This record gives sequence, structure tokens and C-alpha cells, in this order.
Amino acid sequence: MDVFLQTLVAGILKGGLYALIGIGMTLIMGVMGIINLAHGQLMMLAMYVTFVLNTMGVDPYIALFVAMPLLFLLGVTIQKFLLNPLIKADTILPENQVLMTVGIGMVLTEIVRFIFSSDYKYITTSYSNQTFYLGNISFSSALTIAFGIAIAFTVAMFFFLLKTDLGRSIRATAQDKDAATLMGVNTGRITVITFGLGAGLVAAAGCLLAPVYYIFPDLGGPFTAKAFIITILGGLGSTVGAIFGGVTLGLAESMGATYFGMEYEDIIGLTIFVLVLLFLPGGFKRLTKI
Amino acid sequence: MKKNFLPLAFVALVAGLPLVMKDNYYLHLMILFMMWVVIGSAWNLIAGYTGQVSFGDAAFFGCGAYTAGLLAHHFGVSTWWGLALGGFTAVAVGLPFGWICFRMRGAYFALATLALNEVLRHGATIAEKFTGGMVGILIMPSFMSKIPYYYIALAMAVASLASLQLVVRSKPGYYFVSIREDQDAAESLGINTHLYKMLSLAYAAFWTGIAGALYMNYMGFIDPNVVFNLHDISIMAILVGIVGGVGTVYGPAVGAFVMVTVQEMFRSGFFGLFKWLGAVSGSAGLVKVAEVLTQAHVLGFGILVVLVILVLPNGIVGDWPKIRKHVFRLGTGA
Amino acid sequence: MKGTVGKAFVVVAAILSLFVAASAGIAAETVKVGVLLPLTGSQAKFGEIEKRSYEMAAEEINAKGGVNGRKIELLFEDDTGKPDVGRSGVEKLIAREKVPVITGGYSSSVTAAAAPVAQQFKVPFVICTGSADDITEKGYDYIFRINPPASEYPNSVKSFLQGVAKDVKTAALLYENSAFGQSSSKSFEEDAKGLGLKILVKEGYQAGAIDFKPILTKVKAANPDMIYMVSYVMDASLLMRQSKELRINPKLFVGGGAGFTLPEFAKSAGDAADGVYSATLWVETLPFPGAREYFDKFKKKYGSETEYHGAEAYAAMYVVADALKRAKSITPKDVRDALAKTDMKTAFGPVKFVSYDKKTQQNKLDTYMVQWQKGVLEAVWPKSVATKTYIYPTPPWDKRK
Repeated sequence: MDVFLQTLVAGILKGGLYALIGIGMTLIMGVMGIINLAHGQLMMLAMYVTFVLNTMGVDPYIALFVAMPLLFLLGVTIQKFLLNPLIKADTILPENQVLMTVGIGMVLTEIVRFIFSSDYKYITTSYSNQTFYLGNISFSSALTIAFGIAIAFTVAMFFFLLKTDLGRSIRATAQDKDAATLMGVNTGRITVITFGLGAGLVAAAGCLLAPVYYIFPDLGGPFTAKAFIITILGGLGSTVGAIFGGVTLGLAESMGATYFGMEYEDIIGLTIFVLVLLFLPGGFKRLTKI
Repeated sequence: MKKNFLPLAFVALVAGLPLVMKDNYYLHLMILFMMWVVIGSAWNLIAGYTGQVSFGDAAFFGCGAYTAGLLAHHFGVSTWWGLALGGFTAVAVGLPFGWICFRMRGAYFALATLALNEVLRHGATIAEKFTGGMVGILIMPSFMSKIPYYYIALAMAVASLASLQLVVRSKPGYYFVSIREDQDAAESLGINTHLYKMLSLAYAAFWTGIAGALYMNYMGFIDPNVVFNLHDISIMAILVGIVGGVGTVYGPAVGAFVMVTVQEMFRSGFFGLFKWLGAVSGSAGLVKVAEVLTQAHVLGFGILVVLVILVLPNGIVGDWPKIRKHVFRLGTGA
Repeated sequence: MKGTVGKAFVVVAAILSLFVAASAGIAAETVKVGVLLPLTGSQAKFGEIEKRSYEMAAEEINAKGGVNGRKIELLFEDDTGKPDVGRSGVEKLIAREKVPVITGGYSSSVTAAAAPVAQQFKVPFVICTGSADDITEKGYDYIFRINPPASEYPNSVKSFLQGVAKDVKTAALLYENSAFGQSSSKSFEEDAKGLGLKILVKEGYQAGAIDFKPILTKVKAANPDMIYMVSYVMDASLLMRQSKELRINPKLFVGGGAGFTLPEFAKSAGDAADGVYSATLWVETLPFPGAREYFDKFKKKYGSETEYHGAEAYAAMYVVADALKRAKSITPKDVRDALAKTDMKTAFGPVKFVSYDKKTQQNKLDTYMVQWQKGVLEAVWPKSVATKTYIYPTPPWDKRK
């Protein structure tokens, strides 16, 4: 029983972090219909920002308020100067944008490698190794805080999209770009803001992950993969779906690791991904309608 | 006849190259170039002509390589048998995959191919007893000289280009393009789009698998990370296709040449040019430049990717009119 | 117009001839040694340590007169951690640079892919780190290896279990899914069979996992006497941190080389690293001539720490130089023959290439056990080289201060 409960707790806590990584991707995919294959790399960048600030004595949770705006600006720049021009270009394949994100991801990784080398960096805080226990079940303090913050961000995002004008415009663009343009939404501007928001949110995930994990230039790839699995699971553009998707993936990985074997962790995620694509296209969004 | 003159002359030139070029290093680069011609033109059929962008070419490449490797490893069969069979294994993996996943469109299909590759990579890592896991498969290459490999690769490249030309000028070729342009319209015209997409995928998987088997023969070593590699194989295949020209027959050949050259150029610090200049001039600054350049070679490569997509979204062959216009203008202006 | 072209030609020709003269001048004086290492990419950290060690050794040798008066010139070839690049690197060294001998070889897969090239072209290759067993099991007569193969890394652990931890009856085995991880775990399983050790949990994982709690929970439930881990530095640190979180209390935590001996491991794992054992090939406190001197000199010269990989490279340079000095002529064939007769003492230990079991031209070395005690890595086993006594069994987490 303890084994099951501990696995459950580990999966849910990890899932909270995954949700935060997934929200940014789901917004970008929902609004622009492109897959951002540089998503994990943006998170990696935020983790390095956190690391640099930490060497100056700034706590990772405070660094969040620096990393988020920085990454927002970077996201805005990328969308405005690198991705939007491609929409206008006359090309045979629409996937040029996706490829562009691959190129951007490579450039980000290599710039970071150039500056910081491939060495592993780590942030040790007073709470990195801290744990509390409920019965026999251990909770890592840092992951629990991260889970709380991730949920808070997600809920805030949800209301932002539902209640504010900007949020409504983003949702309108996601549902039908042409219609939104006709209704007077400046969709060009919306895509720029959305990419910025996506980058900012994944930056938050990076700051929360930094104290419990470690940092190296190549860490982006696997997280990009997780982000798109979560997005497909949850449904494009759905923040609630992202929470579901994140926690489902976290749980599936943990349960799989305990009851199948840890080497199957990634295969389990990918299998779920393909199954959802085939049998529940549209993801959880189809069931929850939000 | 006149139209075919240029490619034929080029093939003759390449075929004669080993007679004058004795340096193994350049022959090695040429073999890689020809391997990429095969992979690039296969990718171009499925993505450039049929419009189903694959992000998982490495899956087929790896299947071919592992077919050759495993046959040699378990049964002591010559890896040259693998060269014949590798393509069929890749097709055997590709068809069921296509049957299931061609229900998805656009970016979703691309993601599914990516997932296929990851599953195969992890699978090959975990199935240690069968594949050797990450320890990989090591065989002794059959020839010491590069010349046999050179001509085998050349034959493959020519065959793949010729078959591509045949296919795109045939009826299925036109169906492929119609699927790319508008799948629903193609369907309403009575084209079985699912079937033709699978045909296209089978062709691409076949040639990519053969290229993988050639890699096993030539390199003599594979492990899951080498052949099922997203960056080095899948993305490289896309770049070869895009840089050369999407939806053109000779585009990937041009793309393969450019990409292999550029990659090596960055890796070797412009073929040692800066190091050489530094040594000649005795300037420490230039030596430093050479060091920095080689350290940042992947960065240079990445920047190039971004620039190419931004400036030449249809590739060198596809945007040739645009390039010519600009160069021409520059010429008259100066 | 013609004039300028002519002038340009003269300039180019002058530069070219200068270059040719310069390179010819160098060639007459130096002995070229090719070195294959990962200098960029994810393994660059160790490639850098090894490169510096090679350079340091070469400088020392050159300062003492080089190879019979000729200076050693190192030609580094970057394998970027990829087998295919490594192969073409070796080809380039042989075909273009015409080196009489190659050394280096960091990762198992790159080394395994590069060795046949050297063998086919009959140029001796002195491997310093690549540890996959089968590299020296193919009967290659031009391949020499200084470091022990991966399967021998746990030898010291075996003798420790026989000599001290006799009450350890069960074990859990966690390993990274890499060439090194998979082959070490296999040999540990075989050793365990010989020792009558029961393996309760055996799990491979992909390097870079965030959360090891699921498998650690499983390990905790199985309650083994010992946990044997083959992990790279940061996974090692996470494994120990999370073991502490879950309060897993085996009698022994043992790392199978790789990441557990690095200073980064102890720094990032903090107090969770305390008491952890690791198998290792070398520590600077070993009684080999020049071991301590190498360690101190490296630290002074480069301002960073070195470890067993660096010592391997440093020793490899001396072995190569020794063979070059003894060779009848500086040709691959004669250098190979000289290498086969190598019998010397280095900072990494005695080097002599012998054949045993299936292996040929393999240097046979002892391995050692080290333990982290209060943030310091101490040699604890065998007793003859110990700097501190081992702490066994490891105290349970909640009993620690």
C-alpha cells in the first residue's frame, strides 16, 4: 500500500510541474496551430537565468519574477521577427514554422553551451533536500511548493482567458483565426502575445524545477516532448486540459516506473500520446468542453 | 535529352572523381553526401510531393541499419544482405504505422512520426539481449578502401534519383501532389488518399532503410543513439530537403551537398582555414578565432538553419528564380 | 588588370610556399601523436580534462628531451561524442596526418567504432578510457588498452563484500541505460551470482530522469542489504537525495564508478552523499610514482580538479612516449612492436599489455573502493592503500546528525 501511495504522490507532484510546462505549449499550439519544438529549450534558458541569479544570492522563487518577463520578451521577439514573417512567405509546406522552432532551439542550446559549457550546474537551497512526512509517505518540500505555484498559475491563466478582453481575443483566435480577424481582433498581435505568454509560463516551470533538478544545455529536448504529449492529452488551447494532461502523464510515468520498470517511462508517455491521437483526438477538452 | 544532360554530366563527373581524388577524407565526405542524397530525396517524396512531413526519418534509417547489423550479429550473415533487406524492414515498419497514423493530418502526423522514432529508439535500448542495447553492434567493414563504398553509394544515389523522377512523372506522382495541395479535393475526385499516402510512405521508408543499411556497412558501428537520432538523422533529412528545395527532384541532391559541406566546414573550422591563417601569420588572434569557431560549430549550423528558412523558404532549387534575380540585380548595380 | 592578377598570384604563391616551408620545417623536428577525444558536445568536460593531461605530460616529456631529441606534437581530433565522427577522425589522422600512433578514446561507443579503423590501417591505438569489454576481445593486434574493461570495475566491490561486508546477502541494482551502464550491470550480476548475492530489484533508466522515487519506493519495499548504482554524476546525486527523502537504509550504498567519485556529486547531493561508496580506478593517494605530483600540478596549472580520467590520459602519454623512444623507427609497425613490450610504472599504475581470458593486449590493474566521509573522498579498500577506515554499515538516515 505504501508503495502505491508513494508512487501516487510522486506522480501527482511531478504532474503539477508538467502541467505548467504544458500550458505554455497548449496556448501556442491552440492559437497558432504550430508545434513549438523549442519549448523545452526556452525552459532551459529560464533555468540558466535562475542559476545566474542564484550565484548572486537570489532565491529561485524570486528569480521567477525576473525570468518570466525576460522569457516573455524573448518569446515576443521570436514570434515577431522569426515566426510571423514565415506566415506571409509563399511556401509549399506549412511546416516551415515548426522547423524554424527546431532551428531556434538549436541556437538557444548552443549559445548556452558556448557561454556555460556542457558542465552540469545545480542550485542548492535550504529546501532542496527538505522533506516532510505524512505517515510513511514522504513529500519533497520543493516539489510540493512547485505543485502549489503551478496550480495557482494555471487557475490564474484560466480566468485570464475566460474573463479579460485580451484573454477572449486569444481564445477567439484559437477557435477561428479568420473569424477573429473579421471581428476586429488584431491576430498578428495576439500571436505575438501568446508566444510571449507561453514562453513566460514555461520559464516559471523552469524556475520551480531548478532547485530539485540540475541544469545543462541539452535538457530542453525531453521536456519539449513531454510538453507536446501533455498538450495532445489535454486538448489544444485548454488550460484545464493541460492540468489533466500534466497530472495524467506524471501519474502514468510514475505508475509505469513502479509496476513495469523505469526504462519504460518514456515509452509509456509516447504510447499514451499515440493512443489519444487515435481514439480521443482533441484530448480531454472533448470531454470537459473547456 | 537536353534536360537530362546536366544531371548525367554531373554523375559522370562524380564517378570519375576517385581517379583524381585520392584523399580518403574527401571520399568520406562524398560518400556521406551521396547517402544524404538518398535520404533527402526519399523525404522529399513523402513530405515535398505528398505533403506529409515526416519528423521521424531516423525510424526508417534505424530499421535498415539494425536489419543489417542484427543479421550479421546473430546469424553471421554478411551485412550486404542487410543492404538488400534493410529497405523492406523499414517498409514493414512503415506500412502499419502509416495505416494507423495517416488518419492524422499536418503537424499531428509529423508528431506521430517523431513518436515512432522515439519508441523504436527506446525499444532498441531496452531490448539489450536482442540488439546489444547501448553497447551497440560492431562489425568489421568489408573493405579497407573507400572506393567500393563510394561506387555503391553513387549507384544508390543515382538509382534513388532516377526512381524519384519516374515516380513523380507517373500517375501516382500526380496524385501525391494533389493530396498535398488539397486532400479533401483529391478525395472528392475519387483518389484513395489513404492508399496513396501509404504508397508514398512505403517508397520513402524503403530508400531511407537502404541508406541505413549502407551506413551500417560503411561505418561498421551502430547503437540506438546513432541511428535513431532526432537531430543527426531526422532533422538533417528535413534540412537537406528544405535547403535544396521542397518538391523538386534535384533539390535534395543540392541540399545534401550544401548541408554535408557546411556541417563539415563548421566542424573543421572552415577546413582548417583559420588555423592555417593563424599559423602562417603567427597571429594568436586568428588561432583563437579558429578555436572559437570549432567550439561553436553547432551554433553556426543552427544559425544557418534559421537563416535558410527565413530567406529561402523553398530551398535553393525552389527559390532559384529569386536567387538569380537578386544576384542579377546585384550584378548590374555594381 | 593583368598586372593586379599577376601580383595577386605572387602574393598567394608566397603565402603558400611559406606555409609549405613552415609545415615541412615542423615535420622534420616533431613526432606526431594523434589524440581522439570529445572536445565539444556533452562529453566535452572529460575530454577537456584528458586533453589538458595529455598536454601536460607532453610538455614534461618535451622538456626532458622529447623522443630521442625530437619533440612530441599532439594532434587532437574532436570526436564530438559520436561514433561516426570518431571514425572519420581516426581516418583523418592516419590518412592525412600520417601519425605513427593514436591514443585517447573516451566513450565506449566511440572507441569501439574507431578501433577497427586503426586495426585495418595497422596503426597502433593506445586506448586510455573507452571501457566496453569487447574492444580488446576481438584479437586486434594494433589495439592496446591501459584502463581496465568495464566488467572489472566492480572487482574491488567483490573483494570488499568477501572481506568486510560478509552479511550482505541481497542487493538492488540500478543502472543508466548507456553502453557503460549496461555492460557494468551485466558483470555485476555475474559477480553477484558467484558471491551468492540475491538481486531483488534490477532497473535500468534513461539518463536525465527527474524523479527516481517510483523505483526507489520499490527498492525500499524490497529492503535489500546493498544498493549498487551505475549512474552519471547528476543522476547519482538525485538518486542519493531521493534515497534520503524516502529514508532507504541499506547497509551499503555503492556506486559503480562513473559519477560517484566526482566533486560535483558530493557538492550537489550535500549530506546525502555521506557514507556512499564507489568503485574507482584511481585516486591521487595511491602509492604510484608521480600520482600525487600529477594531481597537484594539474590543479596548480589549470585551477581545476582532475580525477581518474585525467590520470589515464596522463599515463597514456607516458606509455606512448616510452614506446616511441624504444621503437626501432618511428613507423606504425615498429611502434606497435615496442608497445607490445611495454613494462613500466606510471602515475596511473603499472602498465603491461597482457592477454587473459578472451582479452588481448589489455593492461591488468587493480580497482579500489572509495567512500565519501564528511565531504571528503577517502580511499578505504583494499586496506593496503586506505587513507581512512571504512564506515560500515552506513548509519540509517534518521540516526545521523
